[in-house]
Amino acid sequence: MTASPNPAVKLRSGSQMLIDALRRNGVEHVFGYPGGAIMPLYDALVGSGLQHYLCRHEQGAALAADAYGRSTRKAGVCMATSGPGATNLVTGIANAFMDSVPMVVITGQVPTALLGTDAFQEVDIFGITLPIVKHSYIVRDIATIPHLVDEAFQLAQGGRPGPVLIDFPKDISTAMGAEPDYQPLPPAEFTLPDTKAIKTASEVLGQARRPLVIAGGGITISDSVQAFREFAAHTGVPVTATLKGLGVMPTDDDCFVGMLGMHGNGAANHAVQNCDVLVVVGARFDDRATGQLAQFAPSARVIHLDIDPAEISKLRRAEVAVIGDLATALDGIRPGTAGRASWRAQCAAWKKEFAWRYDAPGKGIYAPKLLRDLSRLSPGDLTITCDVGQHQMWVAQHCKFDDPLDHLSSGGLGTMGYGLPAAIGVKIAKPEATVVCVSGDGSIMMNIQELATIKRYDLEVKIILLDNSALGLVRQWQELFFNENYSEVDLSDNPDFALVAEAFGIPSRSISKPGEVAAALDWLLSAEGPALLHVSINPRENVWPLVAPGNPNHKMMQANSAKKR
Amino acid sequence: MHTLRIQIRDNDGAVLRALGLIERRCYRLRSCVIGETNDGGRTMEVSVSSSRSGDLLKRQLERLHDVMKVELQPVAIVDGQHSAIRPLGRRN
Repeated sequence: MTASPNPAVKLRSGSQMLIDALRRNGVEHVFGYPGGAIMPLYDALVGSGLQHYLCRHEQGAALAADAYGRSTRKAGVCMATSGPGATNLVTGIANAFMDSVPMVVITGQVPTALLGTDAFQEVDIFGITLPIVKHSYIVRDIATIPHLVDEAFQLAQGGRPGPVLIDFPKDISTAMGAEPDYQPLPPAEFTLPDTKAIKTASEVLGQARRPLVIAGGGITISDSVQAFREFAAHTGVPVTATLKGLGVMPTDDDCFVGMLGMHGNGAANHAVQNCDVLVVVGARFDDRATGQLAQFAPSARVIHLDIDPAEISKLRRAEVAVIGDLATALDGIRPGTAGRASWRAQCAAWKKEFAWRYDAPGKGIYAPKLLRDLSRLSPGDLTITCDVGQHQMWVAQHCKFDDPLDHLSSGGLGTMGYGLPAAIGVKIAKPEATVVCVSGDGSIMMNIQELATIKRYDLEVKIILLDNSALGLVRQWQELFFNENYSEVDLSDNPDFALVAEAFGIPSRSISKPGEVAAALDWLLSAEGPALLHVSINPRENVWPLVAPGNPNHKMMQANSAKKR
Repeated sequence: MHTLRIQIRDNDGAVLRALGLIERRCYRLRSCVIGETNDGGRTMEVSVSSSRSGDLLKRQLERLHDVMKVELQPVAIVDGQHSAIRPLGRRN
């Protein structure tokens, strides 16, 4: 686009047009970090009305935007400069891709004339991110900006959501032109499921004697929680959940048998291995949920509900596929009461048999009990973000979730370092929520610099750091599957985390005895502003049960089946 | 062997995106012919070998925003072997 010859026409820069387009798409908050190639955009940011949060590493910005996107179901926005700024976003983009999170990523880029010349801070971020974006653009003409940005948001948020990257060369961001004519995009196509498939699903479910439903993350993403609960209430079918499906059914609901999979509950894993019809709703047969695929739910006829046709029969053949909007599909599947009373009684008996126990031996703080206490003592607006490792599994097992948006966990990618930036993203998205980040001594060091972001914006984020002086989950696997050959898992020389928090201006406390837990949790939750509770736990504590690799889900190792405790 | 005819938009990276997906999803690229359509789009005719389903690859390709249409050639068996690439013929 060239400058208008008419002096009355107001000229706008590419950067201003991009920011106008962000605002038009409802963006209020962005996460990022400035640098050379993106300076024109940061220049236009001042006074634009967009609130920018400066994270202290681009990965923190991307992961905060991920959590913001999860919480709001609208694209989280992050931005960084070219080269290292852009590559530092990659983990966050991959995280959003694996968990189907709406995100729009803006990267600065060297001027178009220098593209492909190995210019300073030039990296082919478009190429690097091809496998981990839903779509991506290189902006080549300012006239395309309004349409391109609208489309980016529509793609990021529509269908199965995901990250969309906009690479923004510096000469385009500074180019001036008249505001292009703006034509709003037609609304995105909405895939309605086939009524015949819904009818077949009802019939197959109606024939079931031992039906089970897997609630997956897609239910939350598509805002179908209410429809799911009505479907569950109507059919009375027992429900299990994937990691990302936790909270779709309230944890304490009678029909909920717990999370399935590698660290799932025994009731859920026995139910799934014994069911004769399995309704999979917005889930994708991830290997951590299925265990050995060939022996997963061996006698089940599968009804798969998903918006993404590419998930159908990817890993497990679906007898019935209902492709499209989940709420519409769930509203339509009405088989009457499905399954026998004896099956529901069996599931209830398994729930009793495999109920979590908190009478752990040992004198130290038992992390599962602390987490259970936390989620049952806290107000209803508690949102927990986790890092990745043993503590993440304990949160999934022992915390109570009445709403899936109360639990933010890096599921598909398993990104250590997610918890702290995620807490930042959620707190900004939901300022009224009580946000607790549960982290470990390994994970927190992956993005410890974000304590500065928390302090800078005085975000009331509560941090529970479960410190076992080790990379606990790796240590557990080395103990169980690598003959106790411990390799690079010892973190007994950790820094003094309480002191680290204080150095960032965040009040902290350290505890190591069970008797201190109640008062410490009370202190943490009632403290004004951010606070960190450092909890020393037994380095030899493991996550139980555990389905060892290559085993079907019902072959669960328990504490007493392992060599040592 | 699966043979697919893919119509794509002429966007930045569209060809790479489709080829990258094919290899990443564990389909081995055996041949690829890229052409142009009358309306400025691109066509790709690819043959891939994999133990995985051709229909699944078709659905995975269809997810890409740049991909407008994917046709999967029926698998032909000649003398006990999967047939080599057969010309798909121009349809535009």
